[in-house]
Amino acid sequence: MQLSYFRRVAAGGAVAALAFAGVGALTAGPAYAATSKVSIVHGIPDTPVDVYVNGKKTLDNFKPGDVAGPLNLEEGDYDIALTKPGEPIGSAILTVDDAAVPGGANISIAAHLDATGQPKITPFVNDVSKVDAGKARLIVRHTAAAPAVDVRAGGTPVFEDLTNPNEAKGDVDAGEVKADVVLAGTDTVAIGPADLNLKEGTATIVYAIGSAEGKTLDVVAQTITGLHSAPGGVPSGDGGQAGTGVDTWWYVLTGAGVLLLLGGGVRMATARTGRT
Amino acid sequence: MTVRNRGALAALAAGVAALTAAALVACANQPAGTVGAEEASTLASPAPTAASAPSVPVTAGELPAGPKIIPPVRLLIPAIGVTATVNAVGINERTNEFEVPPSVDQIGWYRYGPGLEAEVGSVVIAGHVDSAKQGKGAFFRLRELDQGDTLTATGSDGEARRYRVVAREEYAKTKIPLDRYFARDGKPRLTLITCGGPFDAKARRYRDNIVVTAVPA
Repeated sequence: MQLSYFRRVAAGGAVAALAFAGVGALTAGPAYAATSKVSIVHGIPDTPVDVYVNGKKTLDNFKPGDVAGPLNLEEGDYDIALTKPGEPIGSAILTVDDAAVPGGANISIAAHLDATGQPKITPFVNDVSKVDAGKARLIVRHTAAAPAVDVRAGGTPVFEDLTNPNEAKGDVDAGEVKADVVLAGTDTVAIGPADLNLKEGTATIVYAIGSAEGKTLDVVAQTITGLHSAPGGVPSGDGGQAGTGVDTWWYVLTGAGVLLLLGGGVRMATARTGRT
Repeated sequence: MTVRNRGALAALAAGVAALTAAALVACANQPAGTVGAEEASTLASPAPTAASAPSVPVTAGELPAGPKIIPPVRLLIPAIGVTATVNAVGINERTNEFEVPPSVDQIGWYRYGPGLEAEVGSVVIAGHVDSAKQGKGAFFRLRELDQGDTLTATGSDGEARRYRVVAREEYAKTKIPLDRYFARDGKPRLTLITCGGPFDAKARRYRDNIVVTAVPA
């Protein structure tokens, strides 16, 4: 895998702000594209939950490390609540009110720990633009109670100084890569190494979850397919033996034929009328 | 008959001869033509998705495993005398184009798309029509394939799978709907591609692509 293809994309806290605030302007498609695809990612260790959306139980006994969805949600504001399995919504352990889901977007909502170990919910907008033929998109999200990290592929840092709750991404050659996560600027491995199979035309989203202190660091992965592009062309011959159609000489021949016919005809005609 | 009349007659005869020769050449060099274009395009339309299930699908967020794809390794097309080894190929980094195997007697399967196991989408195999250095290629006579002709693709699992030609199309390279032929959805089908149409001797380049679409027989 050629590491030069990794393009570091500024992560910034902008990602989180974007999703719930101003994404509508960026991703809103035509008026008919009012629904968004929403996935839910569980990254809080040891805490299965029930998930309520607008007061209605949507996920039952949702386990850490699982990914649910995608749900097709109409554009609008949603109340999200997490409870311990079976407990009433009134005793929710985590709630987000009036989360704005824009139209026509692809969103992942992660329930995870913040850098200090407190549970929180962070929405991410997934980049589902097409990748070039032969490429795959890798997105890494820091959603663990851990300090800044570097993500390495084949031992070389490709995303550096990533902090909770931000993401880094790049389009890379499709194929397998051995990746690990180290504390930023060090060789201290926090997660991995693991073999990542990056399938062409997909986005693989890897969430770092858990807690460094609790020794529960792990990863959750989500894959989005259908982002492939066709090759630019299919060049498959430079011999010319199978050429069809006609060459320049054909037009010369045809032109000469027409001129001869006209010339001959005119002379015949003038001869007949007796004019000399 | 005057000298002048004879000259005129000769000119007329030469003109007729020239035009006849030109017409013959033009007829012999007809493009491959297109059959079954509508069927080929219908195959590419994705099946309507089933009404969304009431419950939300939940999956374990495991790292994606290696894909289980069965590459074609051999292609037989009796009607045009093709017996060719199929190589798994990808994209030319420099040109962003399909990397057709340089050896003209071998053909290339697009390894990023579906393999023979796929229940949806287009398995794409491309081969040279010819080459300036090596002469005729494996797909030299691809343009002669017609609806109903059969072909056999053998996978790396040793299983031979039969296909039936439903369409043959010719497109200018600038206009060919490649997205449709490299689609990963729609009915399962085998798409064969080579070059054809008028040849630009200066650029050493054919104007068109010939595309043959076949479905499991």
